[in-house]
Amino acid sequence: MSDTMIIGLLAVIIGSLLVGGGVSWILFTRMHRQAKKPVDKQEEIAKLNKAYTEMAEEDALHLFNAEFREELRNRGRLRFEKIIDENANFLKQDLDATTAKLNEYMQQQIMAKLDEEFGAYAKAMHDAQNMALTSLQKTAEEIETQRHALSEALKAEMAEREKALLKVYEENMAKIIEHYLLQALGNHFDLKSQLPYIIKEMEANKKAIMEDMRL
Amino acid sequence: MSEEATTQFILPSVLITKADLSRLVREIEDLDNEFEAQKVRNQAAGKHDEGYHMPAISEGLSEFAEQNKIDLTDDHARQELRKQIKRIKEKAPILHMTFAVEADVPALRELVEYIRKEFHPQALLQVGLQPSLVGGVYMRTPNRAYDFSIRAKLAQNRNIIQQDLDMLLNAIPVVEAPPEDDMEPPADGGQG
Repeated sequence: MSDTMIIGLLAVIIGSLLVGGGVSWILFTRMHRQAKKPVDKQEEIAKLNKAYTEMAEEDALHLFNAEFREELRNRGRLRFEKIIDENANFLKQDLDATTAKLNEYMQQQIMAKLDEEFGAYAKAMHDAQNMALTSLQKTAEEIETQRHALSEALKAEMAEREKALLKVYEENMAKIIEHYLLQALGNHFDLKSQLPYIIKEMEANKKAIMEDMRL
Repeated sequence: MSEEATTQFILPSVLITKADLSRLVREIEDLDNEFEAQKVRNQAAGKHDEGYHMPAISEGLSEFAEQNKIDLTDDHARQELRKQIKRIKEKAPILHMTFAVEADVPALRELVEYIRKEFHPQALLQVGLQPSLVGGVYMRTPNRAYDFSIRAKLAQNRNIIQQDLDMLLNAIPVVEAPPEDDMEPPADGGQG
């Protein structure tokens, strides 16, 4: 069924409705006029109206019979199906496009967010790395400073200790050696064996001794 | 005898110390007493011409009399001798000598002979003992002191031991501390 036919059918239906309406209007007008007449006439008019109504209903039933309604229903169903199909296609296309755009948008957003997050993470990592490096360098510097100070202190302590040991050793060295000689030699060397040495020493100081003894 | 004669006395080496001279004086006094006793006994016995009988005398007195040609039986000579010996004891220079070991008489005699020959013929010794001297002698004259001991020698030569010690210390290999660069942390430390 073409559109022209549908329009024609619609025009027939509308025309029939206009005719029915006009008839009804006329009958109503007459009845209104007859209402001013006595009651019996009014009854006749009512009967007449009723008859006309029934006739109109019957005509309407003739026009809109079951086949016609079935035909209309079929046409409407097909049209509705077509419209639905078309709309479904449109909807599908729109949905596909929207989905694609949404995917793209989501991808962009996610990528941007990920980039941002990765950037922040990289920055945080870099900062943490720098902090760790700075801390390590500072620790290393402090350790180096402490090591240097410790080394200096150790050197000074060692020098002090060595000096003290040498001093003690020097102070006691003579006593130790004398004690050793005394213990080692003991009385092994009697005075007679020492006489050459004594006489030699006295000979070396002869002049001074002689002067002393003259006084 | 005059003072000049006193200085001409030869002291034998057996007379070393002032105590020896004191003993000598006592011995002369004993000898006087002995001769006086003999004289009394001889007079009592009517032996007026009998000479003195010389009793046994010490080696010191014997040598002293012999070396100075003194007749000990002469009373006057003994009297003068006693006086002069006392005088020597008071006037003779005394050398205080401290040894590290016990001084034996032969060594002392040898030493006093040398001293009397070289320094003063009537010098006397006063002997002491100080083992800490190790060896040699610490001598004190009337005016000065002379330390000829081994202890003094050791003290004088302490620098030799010090020099030897220094040489020994220099000869000991010293382990050098690692260079400063090795102690620095690695350049990429903590970044890996």
